[in-house]
Amino acid sequence: MGLGFLGAGIGAGIIAIGAGIGIGLIGKGAVESIARQPEASGDIRGAMILTAAFIEGVALIGAIVCILLALAIGQ
Amino acid sequence: MTKVLRCLLVTLLFSFIVSPVVLADTEDETSGSIDIMGKVADHDYLELAGAKLYLPRILYADGSLDIYANTERAVESGKYMLDNGILVRADGTPVAIDFSITSHLMYVWFGILLTLIMTLAAARRYRRGTGTKTEPKGVLQNLFEVFFLFIRDDIAKEYIPDNKHHKFVTYLFSVFWAIAFMNLFGLLPWGVSATADLTVTATLAGITFVITQFNGSKDHWRHVFMFPGVHPLVRLILTPVEILGLFTKPFALAIRLFANMLSGKIMIICILGLIFIFTDTFGAAFGLGSSVIWVALTSVIYILKAFIALLQAYIFTLLSAVFIGMAVEEHHHEHDDSSVAHVTEANI
Repeated sequence: MGLGFLGAGIGAGIIAIGAGIGIGLIGKGAVESIARQPEASGDIRGAMILTAAFIEGVALIGAIVCILLALAIGQ
Repeated sequence: MTKVLRCLLVTLLFSFIVSPVVLADTEDETSGSIDIMGKVADHDYLELAGAKLYLPRILYADGSLDIYANTERAVESGKYMLDNGILVRADGTPVAIDFSITSHLMYVWFGILLTLIMTLAAARRYRRGTGTKTEPKGVLQNLFEVFFLFIRDDIAKEYIPDNKHHKFVTYLFSVFWAIAFMNLFGLLPWGVSATADLTVTATLAGITFVITQFNGSKDHWRHVFMFPGVHPLVRLILTPVEILGLFTKPFALAIRLFANMLSGKIMIICILGLIFIFTDTFGAAFGLGSSVIWVALTSVIYILKAFIALLQAYIFTLLSAVFIGMAVEEHHHEHDDSSVAHVTEANI
């Protein structure tokens, strides 16, 4: 039972690492391209939010799986 | 102005600190644990300031429709009984369809009602000439116009090509505000955010799915079933992937909204729950002291949630527009050299 909670926790941690790397790279790309071409910042911001939403969606599916796992063990 | 706001913040903080500790004392006597999922789950009552308004139960079983004023009446009638909080038939036969009105459904209706009132009020003003012949008057109409232009020009026009966006602006605008209101209701005391329920978000995503498929152009369907410009053997793999892609899009749409709203809610309950845990483990004084940190943190998350509520409504609208735009788009170019671009497009 304890190991199950550990699994859910480690899973949430790995999700955070993956999503962090992904969204970090998006932010890096967006900031760099805005610095290079400030007049295109509107378009870049739109594309940035769109891509971040895709990563966020996958990360949240993982987070929900971890929550459900922890709750299922707890019962 | 800032001084007033600062006073208000301090008062709110103080009242928030005191009330959890008072509750922490009473909580021990009753149950001893906080029911996190119970706070976010669907209920058969609306709660306001401790008073509960029970909602009607409508059940379809054995070819007949049973309508009761509330759960208690359904049990009293003898046809139904409660099993772990779920209403089941007393004679063991399964309930075919449960049409019961629940708290989440009520909040969906509240969201739709607010959107309806807002748009109808604005429409009446525009019909009278305010805003069309003269400048828009008042804060509300100006705000309405800002948001409407934002959704029409920056979402619909940009992502739905070939000047076809006019048909979809109404849907995108109303779905934006309905979701935004549903999300924001969760921030009110005793309020429930209906979007923290997978059935609600799945229904919303289903509407987007239906609109997308019914407005799909000939090119859209050809790309799904007969991908142009690739080897027939490759089509054997591509066609199932494309058909699967039709369904993964609304699925991701539903899960994203649901998970965002649910995790925000659970996060707030968990952080406030730390006060109870600390009071339990180290005593009331430590709980009271540590609550300064947790309440401040919760306040920050609360503000973040208000932002996320609007952001998620925006993302849902944006992705709906993107999916609709991908379906209605007509391809005017040669297919042979553009197949690579379509494969990447299909992966979204």
